[in-house]
Amino acid sequence: MKEIVNNSEALCEFLKKMIIETLKLEGVTIEGIDSNVPLFRKGLGLDSIDALELVVAIEKIFNVIIEDEEVGKKAFASINALAKFIQKKYKQGK
Amino acid sequence: MQWIETEEVVRFNEVDEWGMAWYGHYMAWFEVGRLSLLRRFDLLPKQMVYLGYIAPVISLRCDFKSPAGSGDRIVIRTTVVKPEVAALTFKFEILLKENRTLLAHGETTQVLLTTNKKMIYRLTGELEKRISNLVNYCLQKSTTPPFRAGLEKRK
Repeated sequence: MKEIVNNSEALCEFLKKMIIETLKLEGVTIEGIDSNVPLFRKGLGLDSIDALELVVAIEKIFNVIIEDEEVGKKAFASINALAKFIQKKYKQGK
Repeated sequence: MQWIETEEVVRFNEVDEWGMAWYGHYMAWFEVGRLSLLRRFDLLPKQMVYLGYIAPVISLRCDFKSPAGSGDRIVIRTTVVKPEVAALTFKFEILLKENRTLLAHGETTQVLLTTNKKMIYRLTGELEKRISNLVNYCLQKSTTPPFRAGLEKRK
């Protein structure tokens, strides 16, 4: 996991796959997700229950905790933002 | 799965032109069941607000199996599903008291917000304690009989 976290490109790819699998998004491909658009509402169109499921998946996989909406707003701003958030917290946790 | 049961009587003003309980009233009966369960664990809406939280419903489903009529005694069965995420999912069954025929069953999901309307992603502190007491209670083996399907509703 460490190698993936340290490689931004691989991490973004991993996160897209994780989102598609965790939320069982039909008709969405890794290539179809723009790394810069918001994950919620206007962007990928995810909702509040999706956020809760992603939070649990991220905690399980990376041992990184997103406590609430306030932290989530920054973390889920885009795939790139989420990757940066995980990289930062992952290092702090080590 | 442990359910708690609450009884109600279908009022004359709750039936429609066809003599059947109006579909929207089932949601009010779900609410009766929810409150009796929450009361046991000090999780009534005002107690949650005191802890700094609210829990709005974000989804609702109800399947109607057999109509209730005016004067029918009904049993509202309520339980909570073990949560995988920081949300509360209640399950409900509404039975005819006389023979436990299933009239309707449904489900609601609530997310948790602070009273400042910020959604929380993880349960902590007193709220976590009370919700886990509620969930552990509902995970116990049922002490009430299940509903009976496929019966003639009335004798």
